[in-house]
Amino acid sequence: MTFPYKGYAGKYLEVDLTKGKTIVKDMVKEWARLYLGGTGISSKILWERTGPETEPLSPENVLVVGTGPFTGVMFSPSGRMMFASKSPLTGIWAESHSGGFFGPEMKYAGFDLIVISGRSPRPVYLFLRDGEAELRDAQHLWGRETDVTTRMIREELRDPSIETAVIGPAGERQVLYGSVIIDFYRAAGRTGLGAVMGSKNLKGIAASGSLPLEAYDMEKYLEANRQEMEKLRDPLWAESLGSLRKYGTTDLVAIINEIGRLPTKNHWTGFYEHADDIGPEIIAERYRIAQEACHGCSIGCKYIYRVRDGRFASAPAGGPEYETLMAFGSNCLNNNIESIMYLGKRCDQLGMDTISCGKSIGFAMELWEKGILDASMTGGLELTWGNIDTMVELVEQIAKREGLGEVLSLGTRRAAEKFGGDAWRYAIHVKGLEASGQDPRAHQSVGLTYATNVRGADHLRSLSSLEELGYPEIVIERFGKEKADKILDIMSPDYKGELIWDMENLYALVDSAVICKYGTMWPPVYYYETFANVLPHLTGMTEWGDVAYVRQASRRIAHLRRAYNHRLGITRKDETLPHRLLKEAMPTGPAKGGLPDLDQMLDEYYDFRGCDKKTGFPKRERLMELGLDYVAEDLEARGMIAK
Amino acid sequence: MREFLTIDIDLCTGCRNCELACSVHHTSTFNPRRARIQVIRDEARNLVIPVVCLQCEHPLCMEACPTGALDYNEAGVLTVDEARCIGCGACVTACKYGGITLDPIERYAIKCDLCGGDPACVAACEYGAIQLVAADLDGLAIRDHNIARVATMLGIAQEEQQ
Repeated sequence: MTFPYKGYAGKYLEVDLTKGKTIVKDMVKEWARLYLGGTGISSKILWERTGPETEPLSPENVLVVGTGPFTGVMFSPSGRMMFASKSPLTGIWAESHSGGFFGPEMKYAGFDLIVISGRSPRPVYLFLRDGEAELRDAQHLWGRETDVTTRMIREELRDPSIETAVIGPAGERQVLYGSVIIDFYRAAGRTGLGAVMGSKNLKGIAASGSLPLEAYDMEKYLEANRQEMEKLRDPLWAESLGSLRKYGTTDLVAIINEIGRLPTKNHWTGFYEHADDIGPEIIAERYRIAQEACHGCSIGCKYIYRVRDGRFASAPAGGPEYETLMAFGSNCLNNNIESIMYLGKRCDQLGMDTISCGKSIGFAMELWEKGILDASMTGGLELTWGNIDTMVELVEQIAKREGLGEVLSLGTRRAAEKFGGDAWRYAIHVKGLEASGQDPRAHQSVGLTYATNVRGADHLRSLSSLEELGYPEIVIERFGKEKADKILDIMSPDYKGELIWDMENLYALVDSAVICKYGTMWPPVYYYETFANVLPHLTGMTEWGDVAYVRQASRRIAHLRRAYNHRLGITRKDETLPHRLLKEAMPTGPAKGGLPDLDQMLDEYYDFRGCDKKTGFPKRERLMELGLDYVAEDLEARGMIAK
Repeated sequence: MREFLTIDIDLCTGCRNCELACSVHHTSTFNPRRARIQVIRDEARNLVIPVVCLQCEHPLCMEACPTGALDYNEAGVLTVDEARCIGCGACVTACKYGGITLDPIERYAIKCDLCGGDPACVAACEYGAIQLVAADLDGLAIRDHNIARVATMLGIAQEEQQ
């Protein structure tokens, strides 16, 4: 039976790089009904096709390139797409999302998903156009930086409207945090999916399409869409949207430093005295030249900058986001904004995650300070805090995997193992993924977000802005009046288990739809009702019109991803925080003295999730009620079910 | 009175929502390639240039059409008679501004028809970059300003001065 639902392109592509084959297949009805798209469907595919025995950088690993029903159909903000695989950096569940224009283009080219396995005998890239797929020679592209690669592909195919997802030299050399760059300066940065592409000799994916996407009931869908947009336009959010449009994520430098949560000096503290030097006003005044938006987006948080002269002079390019300003800025005690812009741009061109790269350099700087690293081990480089020359050199070395860069290209967890001694104390990661720009010592629930996140220490699977920015009406509406005061207290661990459980469920849907965290995380407008309102008219799947069904689906996806990690050996002991963020009280700034009460929050989270508090394993009945019988059976056989 | 669309590229973010709205209005599907308004992007040179029919006084596309498929409708807007269009593309070649193109699926010429006076793209632009103006002195002044900005951005204006 052909795929009956609208909103989707209706086909997916199976690519076997070893055989050099591409097969166009009909989308699977049950995938859409039970897992929606993006993250949800990826978790089902990866559960079936990868496992404990899969080496992340081997031909056996599978890379899923995904979109969702919301991609390319005018829901704002939805110009996104995602990748999922088993991570070479962490060895566990990996997903990374990106904005831009590639996701919608992939659907107009006829495909909702691409499932890639094997290893090509020589470099190739995949080209999609109007329902057809072709593997093309990429030997002339191998070694090229990401922007050059995209220009060359557009020229050789004589189509300037082609959108791309490509890797750079870092991904080719399998730097463990190699990224995939979308349309020049947007990145699926985290978890090393660029290295997975590199290991498969896949230089990139290019798409150009003129196929239509339909709605099940266009009039009703547009009306539902308009209703949701109207919520976003509420005067209540005018200030938030104004800030996003004027500053983009750079505004977070100021907002986050104000509450003492801005990672500074390799996460030693959460307050940076020179924060004003790295954003947001200085960027808006001196460097910003234009505002941009992802496909069909009404928020428009992206900006273009230009450094006119001096050492770091640059042609116009996509500006660094908050995380890059933090990773190469405050976290390395570097207040030279032009150098940060340069380092961010180099990471985009080389195809590396700015967070893991910057954090690996900050980590090495602290080892230098502590005497664990000396000049004999760094090839003469001086790793003093804020040393711009060293940072510029290290970024190149890491991408080439040369000198000190060879060790740092493995990320902080493995680098710490290589350095030995006390180095582990300064490796700020969870499950092998370098922490993003938050600090749980200034915001309790961030600790739980980091600890339970299926891909490691970052904010994008469940960060709550509700208590950070203070939205009492929304907290009362979602969690009830009696819990509101405690939830709104950023330094109270109470009810944070329920809060983060709910956020994680909600974002599992956001990542399956596939839409942006803006509009859901901040401002917190879209909720389960949004999906129930829009999806039936868009897709024709009537069951999604029931909020209870929507909530159940969100829990199904969240559980399946967790189970994927359990099968690889992840238990409660891994759902923790690095020593510094768990045991060393915040030394300075507005959050001075702060520490997260992780155990209390974890206990409550496991209760809500339906997991055993000792191991974190799920209860059988919880999996059964979500239709995850096959997961229950598998985990049971491995002794990974809650007793 | 004659009307036309004019776009302020300083407000345009290149999100291409106008293309989506246009394709929904004209094809009842989401298909930017069938839109009558197109946003040309060249990230390497930081160019984001929306292109739409200028509703010219003396339309070169109409002059170039060998079958008379381009003609004014009751509202006075130049439109394509799909039945008479043979898809030769002479109009596309003739237009200096990229304001008319061939539909990639149906293969006949497509151009902006102002949606009968209430353009879908104007309503869909969250950034207020697209305006429908009357072809009077004020409207022409707005268009003149907006075209000058595009010319400057492309480097054409500077070249002419040299």
